[in-house]
Amino acid sequence: MWTYEKRLQYPVNITKTCPKTASLIISQFGGPDGEMAASMRYLSQRYTMPCKEVAGLLTDIGTEELAHLEIICAMIFQLTKNMNAQDAQTAGFDAYYVDHTAGIWPTAAAGVPFNACEFQSKGDAITDLFEDLAAEQKARSTYENLIRIIPDPEVREPLKYLREREVVHFQRFGEALEKLKTDLDAKNFYYFNAEFDHKR
Amino acid sequence: MSERAKLLKEIQEVGFTMDDLLLYLDTHPLDQDALKAFAQARERRYQLTREYSGRFEPLTLCQVCPDTNNKTGTFTKYPGQKHFTWSDGPLPWDNQGGV
Repeated sequence: MWTYEKRLQYPVNITKTCPKTASLIISQFGGPDGEMAASMRYLSQRYTMPCKEVAGLLTDIGTEELAHLEIICAMIFQLTKNMNAQDAQTAGFDAYYVDHTAGIWPTAAAGVPFNACEFQSKGDAITDLFEDLAAEQKARSTYENLIRIIPDPEVREPLKYLREREVVHFQRFGEALEKLKTDLDAKNFYYFNAEFDHKR
Repeated sequence: MSERAKLLKEIQEVGFTMDDLLLYLDTHPLDQDALKAFAQARERRYQLTREYSGRFEPLTLCQVCPDTNNKTGTFTKYPGQKHFTWSDGPLPWDNQGGV
């Protein structure tokens, strides 16, 4: 189960309305490498993970990703909070406004709605951990793309923090992969599915 | 920065220390220095959140205690009345700069 703590993991205090920026960072909520895909990916994969410590890490990183999802949503909320009809016509937000007004709805920056296919869960420990390592790098690249084009420091600071966390998660998943390999049969972990073909 | 904002910032800092150490300890469960740092952060966080929920709103359900929460009576619809304090305080996603 989960309990809620009534605070953000990192503070978000955006004072300037900018729906255009909201339309870009929304990708880290509902896009292919966003926080929702990340948390759901890890929290789904953990059940069949054959190594208890790695399942624990998936739980803890999946939980932190939920806090990141909240940070991104808080940013979108604050960027569109005082939006008027004129602001809504800003390039890139008018189409979203027509369907959702200022409501928070998961979509990629290019307008593709969130798709469950984005949280990969293969039921193979090695496959899943490589997926997770790639996912962290893809999320890092996305944050870098955002930071390059967004000048407002009030938006950049939380994005820089979130980018740093992707780097840390990549490191931890790398350690988890090494740990898993020492637990499995070294002769065959790339040839068989450790979750399915070997009885524990 | 207000007293509330200052204290919340400290909680966020020590909370982050714990979040980061948690993942490190998941993959390094025998690191004695990290275990010590975790114990220190946990104690500090306990003290800070206890102080915060006494002066302001509770941040977790376990800290909800109508008799001792929110002594400053801020961000509440029911100042001076015994009430369920879980709904006191600003929403986390509302801009809290300087609050």
